[in-house]
Amino acid sequence: MRLALLVCALCVLAPLDAIAQRGAAANTPDITGSWERHRGGPGQARETIPPAAPQPPLKPEFLKEWQDRNRAAREADAKGTPLANNATLCLPEGMPGMMGATFPMEILQSKGQVTVIEEAFTQVRRILLDQPQKAVDDVEPGFYGHSVGRWEGDTLAVDTVGVKENVRYQNVPHSANMRIRERLHLVTPDVLWNEITIEDPATFEKPWTFTIAYRRMPGYQLLEYICEDNREFADENGLQKIRIGPTER
Amino acid sequence: MKSGSIIWNAGLLILLAAVPLLAHHSFAMYDHTKTITLKGSVTKFQWTNPHAYIEMDVTEKGAVKHYSVECTSINMMQRAGWRSNILKFGDQVKAIIAPLNSGQPGGLLLELTLPSGKVMDPGVPAANTFTRTPEK
Repeated sequence: MRLALLVCALCVLAPLDAIAQRGAAANTPDITGSWERHRGGPGQARETIPPAAPQPPLKPEFLKEWQDRNRAAREADAKGTPLANNATLCLPEGMPGMMGATFPMEILQSKGQVTVIEEAFTQVRRILLDQPQKAVDDVEPGFYGHSVGRWEGDTLAVDTVGVKENVRYQNVPHSANMRIRERLHLVTPDVLWNEITIEDPATFEKPWTFTIAYRRMPGYQLLEYICEDNREFADENGLQKIRIGPTER
Repeated sequence: MKSGSIIWNAGLLILLAAVPLLAHHSFAMYDHTKTITLKGSVTKFQWTNPHAYIEMDVTEKGAVKHYSVECTSINMMQRAGWRSNILKFGDQVKAIIAPLNSGQPGGLLLELTLPSGKVMDPGVPAANTFTRTPEK
């Protein structure tokens, strides 16, 4: 009798579960696939191009640090002796830099998770759906941090904490407590906007919000990217140098 | 006409300002004011990331001089039609490069002519900011 009840319960629950899964898939936008940065150009609808990012609203002391660093980089470039940076060392961009999609980017939607892969440096981040966010102190600092997300209607809202202080987007300083909020939504079937808001009361006077747009790359499969032989290096003065000379055939 | 050119110049400025965002690595090590044209023999085509390299021997004034020519990411090059087997040891090629500011025998590849005569573009970001020197 008990067995019969259990079987009966399974008969009822199994289809409900299947319906729930189908329902979720039917109700959430399909953003799976390859994307590239969308900056406009011939044949592209102007209204799909987001406005340019404003300057980061840093507190005065951090704004000065940022401006001094940028000026030093510009002056070093003008002298033809660029400063070394994370890219010189072949380090990945981390968050939110990888969402700038300098190279093509792939989004994969699976049960309970949205995965973003950036072709450059084979960067991978996992957005855990419908999970509570951890306290910053419970996340080991990393390049991508800990991301949770949920669908709010047609918008994927993502919250990220735990990005290392030396992982900087456009050299902008931040504390270990930085929080990145993202709102991803399709503005046309083939253009995706990511409204990014960076909150960090220790370094910012107010949240910094800017939008990055992507367009679909139908049929494009991401290529491998391994920093196999980086000939660029930082010398003892922090300048970018390069190893040249004959190598074995 | 005048206002049109102002708009165009403003567009160019925005484009130039956006340039650093398009590249991971700085190309400021290379001379933006002149190019040199190398005609020589490929000794190695290093098909790696973050950048590919063409090693080549060039005969200058009767002596062989070796150059290392930096390309871009092999991902960008593949999207521009390059393949790992497009060059092999001994291929005679013509390379237009922006030379290293340091004076070392190397440069950034702006254009490569294959033995077949086909011209390849390595897709250097902001390649138009490098002033080309007419070939002698």
